[in-house]
This record gives sequence, C-alpha cells and structure tokens, in this order.
Amino acid sequence: MQSHGVLLPLRGPSSSLSLSRHLRRQLTLTSFHSSKASTRPRSLLLPVASAAFTVSDGELETRGFRVRRSSDGLDVAALNDVFARVGFPRRDPDRLRRALGHAGGAVVWVEESKRGGGPGKPVAFARATGDGVFNAVVWDVVVEPSLQGMGLGRAVMERLVADLRRSGVSNIALYAEPRVVGFYRPLGFAADPDGIKGMVYSRRNQKKR
Amino acid sequence: MPFGASIPSPPPTYLVHHLACWFQVSNKCWIHNGLSGFVPAKRRAMVLPLRASFWDSIKSGFLKNNNSTKVVEPPSTFMEEEDPFPQDIVLLEKTQPDGTFEQIIFSSAGDVDVYDVQALCDKVGWPRRPLTKIAASLKNSYLVATLHLIKGIDQKQLIGMARATSDHAFNATIWDVLVDPSYQGQGLGKALVEQLIRVLLQRDIGNITLFADNKVVDFYKNLGFEADPEGIKGMFWYPRY
Repeated sequence: MQSHGVLLPLRGPSSSLSLSRHLRRQLTLTSFHSSKASTRPRSLLLPVASAAFTVSDGELETRGFRVRRSSDGLDVAALNDVFARVGFPRRDPDRLRRALGHAGGAVVWVEESKRGGGPGKPVAFARATGDGVFNAVVWDVVVEPSLQGMGLGRAVMERLVADLRRSGVSNIALYAEPRVVGFYRPLGFAADPDGIKGMVYSRRNQKKR
Repeated sequence: MPFGASIPSPPPTYLVHHLACWFQVSNKCWIHNGLSGFVPAKRRAMVLPLRASFWDSIKSGFLKNNNSTKVVEPPSTFMEEEDPFPQDIVLLEKTQPDGTFEQIIFSSAGDVDVYDVQALCDKVGWPRRPLTKIAASLKNSYLVATLHLIKGIDQKQLIGMARATSDHAFNATIWDVLVDPSYQGQGLGKALVEQLIRVLLQRDIGNITLFADNKVVDFYKNLGFEADPEGIKGMFWYPRY
C-alpha cells in the first residue's frame, strides 16, 4: 500500500491508528515485542496512570534529586554547561529558551537539590518535539558525566515517554549515536524497525543538476 | 530542443517563481513554448536554481565537538536576500486545449481543509484517522506545505501535502509526505520536499530530519538526505508491525 514519494508514518497503512485508545492499549499489552525485553517491560505497558518507574520520584528525592516536568526554573546557562561536558554543542541561550518554551513539546529534567533551598542545577535532561497527537521526536538527552550510571538518564526518559503517551502520542522516535543505542534499547526503543531509516538533510549531499 | 522563450505575465495573485526547469515525466511533461502554450517534451531531470550564497551561510545540523571547545551557535543569519520569499510558488502552468488555465501551486501557508487532507490520505491508502486529531496535528505542526491544482478561476484541489514538526529553533522533522496517486510520477513529490526544505532553511531551522520507509530511502537520498549519518540510528518506541 505504499506509493512512491509517500513518507509513511511509522505504523504505516497497516497500523492501528484508527482504533480507540483503549483498544490500542489492549493491543500493546498482547503484542509485546519480546525481542526487546528489558528488566521491567511491563512498567511501560501498564496504563500510564499507574505506571511504575524504575526509580520513583520519592526515591530520587531521598538521593537529593528532584524531577521537573516543565522548563520553569531551568537554568539555561547551566544546561549549556552540561551539553558542553557531554560533548554536545552549546546552544544560543535565546534559541534554547525558544525551543523549550515551544508549545506541544515535553520537557523532563532532574534538578540537583541545593542545600538551603533555591533552584538547583540540571543534571539530567530530555525534551521532545511533536504534533501532540501522532508523532514526537526526543532530542538532547543528557546526563551530567559525573552522575552517569545512576539511572538518571533512564529516569528522565521513562517519564518523558510516559508524558507523551499520556497525551496520546505513541509514535515516539529519536536519533541515537552508536554508543548509546544500547541505552535506549532497554527503554523500549528499537533501531530501524522494519527497515525505516532515520535521515538527515545535508546541503553538501544535494546533487548538482 | 531549446527551452521555450518567455513565461507569460503571471496572474496578479501569484508570484511566478521562474524555476527554469521542466519536470521528469513519462509523457506528460510540458515545456512552455512562447505563446502557444505547453508542448510535450522529452524526459528531463528537474532543476531548481538554489542560491549558493544563502545555502552556504547555513550551518550543518550535526556538530561534534570535544569537551574542550566551546561552540556557540552564530546569531541567526536570517534573510540575506532583499526580497522575501513568497509563500505561494507556481510549480507548473498549463493552458489546456480548450483554453482552461491550470496551475500547480506550492504553498507554505498551511491553508488546508481537514476534509481535503482526509480525502488525500484516503487516496494514498492510509487508514482513517479521527478528523479532530488530523486537525490538531496540523495545528501543532510548525510548517504545513501543500500542493494545489488550480483549474480556471474557481477549482482548487489538494493534490499534495507535507508537514514538519519543530522546536522552532534547531530541529525539524518532516512527516506525512503525500502526493495524490493521479499526480505521482511528475516530480511533484520532489518539488514539495525541496520547497519545504527551502522554507525551513529560510527560517533558520538548521537540522532537518525525517524517518523514511525502506522503499523511499533513495527518493530522499536524491534530495540530499543521508541515512544514519555518522552511524546515528533512528529508533522508535515499541514499534508494532
């Protein structure tokens, strides 16, 4: 059912897009991809309201981390510092604020609690852009290098995915560098499903005619 | 075969973007030949005269830096041209034998009827999606581009569409590129995507991405897209097939 020049959405013509959300959830529960089994697959398949995260908000609080679900209070300069430390390019702060404030996007970040209160620095971060009903793409997933390996990246990703799913979006995509493909797999992400390729526009690739 | 002489003066509501091109077609290609309207032409490749200086000023989307270098994105180099790009662009013009004037217009205005979108999705064989969701997806898209076939003065038909979501600053992702099957094979899909890219770059969105089904990867490669750049993989959350 594919035509030349048609970019299919992930789930294509054979998808269940036209089904009600309830029925879709039933399908999700019964057609689980066992090849992508992770330690806690079911937590991502339960109705979102009772989803159990690997590490709960409360557990994070006892360790001195607070989960934040909006960009309010996010120190953009501090976030840029984290970007730089993980090897991402720093962003122009105004453009970064614009990207964060854009309606329809989702932001989850972890704040390191500061002694004596006050806003803490971001130590983990992820954001998504999309149309709010069908598709979302996750960008800029970072964890402060000195705090990696503790489950903070998983914490932001689980919550971001849960937030997107709660708003009805189930087509969630991202671009993963080779060395982090393994990080996303246990979170439920699969690379090139059914041969679908992530592609990026590059001016130098444009054919001269 | 020399290319036709001049394009007649355009109707007042559109700025005709003289693309200096003709479309790759089996037997339905028209080259404008002076005042006698369109004549059939041999198959040719499509050419869009892009302005080199403008493209060169846009940075590539992926930057890899080590920790020690500070890279700050340059301030927006928006609009170095004097005249702004029009929202509507005439891709094709034709005068039918009976005198009817036809045009295929690209528009980035996103002015589209949700019922027309659903009808187009039906034509390409997609399953039905709730109209409210279609409407919401269009409203929440950063850019909605359309191809309309204009016949005479009052017939306007949606024959192609593409949309892009974006964070309004860095990244855009193209979704749902559709061309009415009756109008496929004429290079309209390519024109649609090329114009969409042009508008995104014009708005300083430097990283343009998409996810391509296996069968259309080459189509997008020909438009300047690269699959798995630097080994970066597209991944999806629990895809069901």
